Amino acid sequence: MSGRGGYLLRKIGWALLTIFVVITFNFVLFRVLPGDPAKSGLRDPRLNPAAVEALRERFGIDKPVFLNLDGGNPFDSQYVAYFAALSRGDLGTSYAFRDQPVSSLIGQALGNTLWLILPSQFLAIIFGAGLGLFAAWRRGRALDVSALTFSLFMWSLPTFFLGIILLIIGANWLGLPTAGRITIGAGFESPLDVAIDVGRHLILPTLTLTLVLLGEYMLIMRSSVLDVFGEDYILTARAKGLSTYGIIRHHALRNAILPMVTLIALNLGFTVSGAIQVEAVYSWPGLGALTVNAVGDRDFPVLQGAFLLIAVAVVLANLIAELIYGWLDPRVSDA
Amino acid sequence: MSVLIEATAPSTVEPRGALRSFLRHRMGVIGAAMLLIAVFVAVAAPILAPYDPYEHVRVTVFDIYQKPSAEHLLGTDDGGKDVFSSLLYGARVSLIAGFAAAAIALFIGGLVGIVAGYRGGWVGSLLMRITDFFLVIPDLALQIVLVAIIGPSLGTIIFVIGVLGWTTTARLVRSQALTVRERKYVMRARAIGAGDSHILRRHILPAVLPLMLANMVLVISLAILSESTLAFLGLGDPTVISWGQMLNFAFGRGAVTAGAWWALLPPGFAIVWVVLGTTLLGTALEDALNPRLKRHHLEAAGSDVARGRNVPTLDAPTLAMTGSSADPSPILLVRDLSIEFDTPAGPKLAVEGVSFDLNRGETLGLVGESGCGKTTTVLGVLRLLPPGGRVVSGSVWFDGEDLLGLDGPALRSFRWTRLSLVFQGAMNALNPVLTVGDQIAEAVRLHAPGTTKREAADQVAELLERVGIGRRRANEYPHTYSGGMRQRAMIALALSCDPDVIVADEPTTALDVMIQAQILELLGGIARDFGTGIIIVTHDLGVVAEVCDRVVVMYGGGVAEENQAATLFREPQHPYTQELLQSFPDLAHPDRPLRGIPGSPPRIDDMPVGCRFAPRCPHAFDRCGTERPPDYSAAGGRAACFLLDLEERES
Amino acid sequence: MTEPLLRVEDLTKEFAGRATFGDLVRRRAVPPVRAVDGISFELRAGEVLAIVGESGCGKTTTGNLLMGLLQPSSGRVMLEGSEVGALSGRGLQKLRRRVQMIFQDPYESLNPRMRVREIVAEPLRVHRVATSPEDLAARVATALTSAGLSPAEAYVDRFAFEMSGGQRQRVVIAAALALEPTLLVADEPVSMLDVSIRAEILNLLSGLAREQGIGIVMITHDLSTVAAYADRIAVMYLGRIVEHGPTRQVLSDPKHPYARALLSVVPIPDPSVRRTPVILSGETPDPSRIPPGCRFHPRCPVAFDRCPRVDPALIEVGPDHEAACLLYGDGAPADRPA
Repeated sequence: MSGRGGYLLRKIGWALLTIFVVITFNFVLFRVLPGDPAKSGLRDPRLNPAAVEALRERFGIDKPVFLNLDGGNPFDSQYVAYFAALSRGDLGTSYAFRDQPVSSLIGQALGNTLWLILPSQFLAIIFGAGLGLFAAWRRGRALDVSALTFSLFMWSLPTFFLGIILLIIGANWLGLPTAGRITIGAGFESPLDVAIDVGRHLILPTLTLTLVLLGEYMLIMRSSVLDVFGEDYILTARAKGLSTYGIIRHHALRNAILPMVTLIALNLGFTVSGAIQVEAVYSWPGLGALTVNAVGDRDFPVLQGAFLLIAVAVVLANLIAELIYGWLDPRVSDA
Repeated sequence: MSVLIEATAPSTVEPRGALRSFLRHRMGVIGAAMLLIAVFVAVAAPILAPYDPYEHVRVTVFDIYQKPSAEHLLGTDDGGKDVFSSLLYGARVSLIAGFAAAAIALFIGGLVGIVAGYRGGWVGSLLMRITDFFLVIPDLALQIVLVAIIGPSLGTIIFVIGVLGWTTTARLVRSQALTVRERKYVMRARAIGAGDSHILRRHILPAVLPLMLANMVLVISLAILSESTLAFLGLGDPTVISWGQMLNFAFGRGAVTAGAWWALLPPGFAIVWVVLGTTLLGTALEDALNPRLKRHHLEAAGSDVARGRNVPTLDAPTLAMTGSSADPSPILLVRDLSIEFDTPAGPKLAVEGVSFDLNRGETLGLVGESGCGKTTTVLGVLRLLPPGGRVVSGSVWFDGEDLLGLDGPALRSFRWTRLSLVFQGAMNALNPVLTVGDQIAEAVRLHAPGTTKREAADQVAELLERVGIGRRRANEYPHTYSGGMRQRAMIALALSCDPDVIVADEPTTALDVMIQAQILELLGGIARDFGTGIIIVTHDLGVVAEVCDRVVVMYGGGVAEENQAATLFREPQHPYTQELLQSFPDLAHPDRPLRGIPGSPPRIDDMPVGCRFAPRCPHAFDRCGTERPPDYSAAGGRAACFLLDLEERES
Repeated sequence: MTEPLLRVEDLTKEFAGRATFGDLVRRRAVPPVRAVDGISFELRAGEVLAIVGESGCGKTTTGNLLMGLLQPSSGRVMLEGSEVGALSGRGLQKLRRRVQMIFQDPYESLNPRMRVREIVAEPLRVHRVATSPEDLAARVATALTSAGLSPAEAYVDRFAFEMSGGQRQRVVIAAALALEPTLLVADEPVSMLDVSIRAEILNLLSGLAREQGIGIVMITHDLSTVAAYADRIAVMYLGRIVEHGPTRQVLSDPKHPYARALLSVVPIPDPSVRRTPVILSGETPDPSRIPPGCRFHPRCPVAFDRCPRVDPALIEVGPDHEAACLLYGDGAPADRPA
């Protein structure tokens, strides 16, 4: 059947197209919009003359923006040069961290962000889905009502403010570290000590992000389970003589997870924005903190690179979610 | 959504109570009040605030982070300013940013949504592609980048939040416009000759606007959150005081180390207050406009059999008969069954005093129009009533056993092995993510625990052959089957545990005549070859005449008449049966004029006191309006009509 | 002969086939789907024609073509001498006033946000027919009364959900009657209604034909429903009319094997009538894969050697009675069934 392969190709094609548009969008943002950070960057007093020359070379400031229509090579333009640089993995040089390539800066930051996002995402999905399932099953009961109230409150609580509250609690009563990734200047005796120290630094940021995501996932799972429980095939399963546990496990869960997968994918932007705020509060040296600091430093190459990476990562994660969906639901790939 | 919940749930909920149901939502009222207080504070800030936070004052180090006091209700901040006054003024920025950004977002989103949904075509798909694109871009990251490039001013921030916040609105409006566009009443308007502007004005906009109103409230709460987040990250307008910025300054300038909770908590909770208020309001509005299905099949609420159920005593010989295998002996005895449903106006009887028998190997037709209680009756018998419905009296005997007394494991092992079910609308009754074969094998292995996978697969293949599907399609999913095939698969599933009785609820409704004939032939063959008892629930007298041995006619939740099929069609006793046959087209007698029954069937919340059919009955007399008629025997069957009482007395 | 109310000539409608991803990759041309394949018929004023067939036979597409909601791929629909497809703008608007449609689902075809008054007035407003508000109200009342909703004042202020299914369908009919049309196209007008209500609606429609001379094309899957009401029946199979004739003729002596089979499986509410149903195996094929020759031959119980090769045209099989089957006319097999 060509259906499945077709679905796969269609989704991958769409993701590639989106990434292309993201890159172009990123180019336009930083080159064409008024304010033109590229040109203003050349006047940045922090740069040495060699760096300015390198920038001029890289941006091709004197070249036409999109296509060279004045004769000569039509592809001799800033836009094409930007793509060429990207294909070499060259994201430029930071203004603030002298002569540091942007790619290595955001590479480190990405690693730290993943350390924060992945555990939070995992915990939030497990607990959110479990709570949502339970709340739907016991709809209107105490657990459901308190879970709903919790989600509503979490939704209304700005992530950074939740971070601040947990930070105050953690610092004053729990004695947990509240800033950075590792205790600076501490003499560690073994890699295990390092791991323990980093782990302690991770507790509060992870907790904050988990709580924020959890409320959202619980709501999604609850409403999706409620929809599935109302379907006739659940009644068929009951009529067949399955126990409630059997019905949930064999019939309800897989159908209820389907919309979860899509919505988690659509909510990745939400996860990223949560991570940016958590990193800002806890000075966690990830992509978010890098972005916020780059704004303060007017370090446009870093800002541009970080934004590009975040956007591409979200597109790719979305693609993975779509593929999982197609694998779980036989109807999608045949359509 | 569930066909069965709709078929059985009382149709007393009117779609127009949007305002009433909104007011019922305490949540919404609280939210609106919270928001109004915030608006009041914002407007009255200059009057309420003891100090002007915009005024430049010279401060000394002793003015910084002062504890709350009579002079400074919430203490002072890092700049020595009165936190309480800044808090009041901060409401202005939050609300202005929220409302203005939401207005931009709604304008763009509404426009894009309506164009994409109503116009469709390539313009529509292009717009949706653009929406999808913005949906995957993480908005906070993009907001940061844009504000960084354009420069932080309140105007920029509003613009950026608004321009990036339209996507959810666009998707919502598009899907609503798309649904309305496909509605029959819009097609009717088009057929009348109405142009686009008329349809947009009269049909699309009235349907889209209330939805946008609810969405607007949620977009406002999002915009307020975004504004405070940007301000907290240091991207706020430096010339105005906002809650996010107060937090930014306090947090960045040592409030935590100074223990100055008063500089941190008030602005934070002020944001929570406004966002919570708008969210509560928005959620309540959404609920009111779009009421969710209130019930589901697994709800752990209440039992489907009322605890104090009134059980009629069954005389010993009758009871003994159900356990015997004499021919004909009833396998199923339903006695005086009454079922009630919770409605907004309290519990109402949907089925009242229904009794009938099913003999071994017999095909029984349960006929009636929509709302007559036929589906509710069988769901009650099968112990599958949706939540909110319960058997309040009566008993159901199956092979000598009281079905209504069964519970837990006993009930589960009874199910499907003795009594199975073919649903109406097999599309929804099969699980879309499991193959047809798996769904049949599941029932086989559940009730014969020792069965290996291989043995189950063999049985599945055999069952599928028997219903004319063919074994090769066992590994396919239900959506690849046609409507007729799905109904066959459902029959194979019903046969899988070799039950004594199969209940088929509208097994051929929505199928083409030829497919209907195929399915009826299949069911007839099962009754003939396996001696399976079949109850066919249908509104179609033709179907009944084709396949049923005996017929129970239901009206308004009760049995109007019961008889052998041949007798019932030849000598209908109840005026309802007579009228129904009069109104039913008959190809064998095409010259007979058809006559409809004036009026419409009663609703369960508005049941006549006397005979349920009296308001539509051409022969009704005074007694019919005040008294419920009991069953009278007639023509070898029984009918609930006082005319038969008269006849009895005359003779 | 005078011009009939409605004349349909060789009407054909093709829809573009849906290309799968594989088709695109292999640059395979996707053949169009012929939903309606060259049908012709006429309708006189006051006459009721039933177009009968199973799902996928093209009957609904035919209805939409008659209404001008779809443009025919070829062929013509002539209403009172003017071609429906050729009109546009003012002319089309004028034509629209003369053809009205009644849809299947009265629960869906009324806007839940509008009162009966507004629903019935809508066509009058669209065509700016009423001269004054009083005139508008009077026309609405007349239409409601003709549709059997009287007194009209009792209904004008209601919403759809405040009425029963039968009443809703009467409102739909009233809205159609408001413009005083000459042709009604009724697409399954009673299939969503309770059995006891159907006869009343059908009686209303046939009364309109008889008394007001409105021509009615009734599109349905249900032969038994139309038996008592239609003057003529056209049986469709896979986009073609396979049999066409006076109702009495077609019902008592169907000629085409498909019509025979269809008729033999219609349930009859009388167990004393015993027939041998001809149950065709399988289902109607997909209109994108129409079999060669006679399109019915793979399922036909009496097909013979010529059937897979020759596509039969409608030929006269009785007075005013036509069928498209090779059993009739030249070249029929010697042992043709009576």
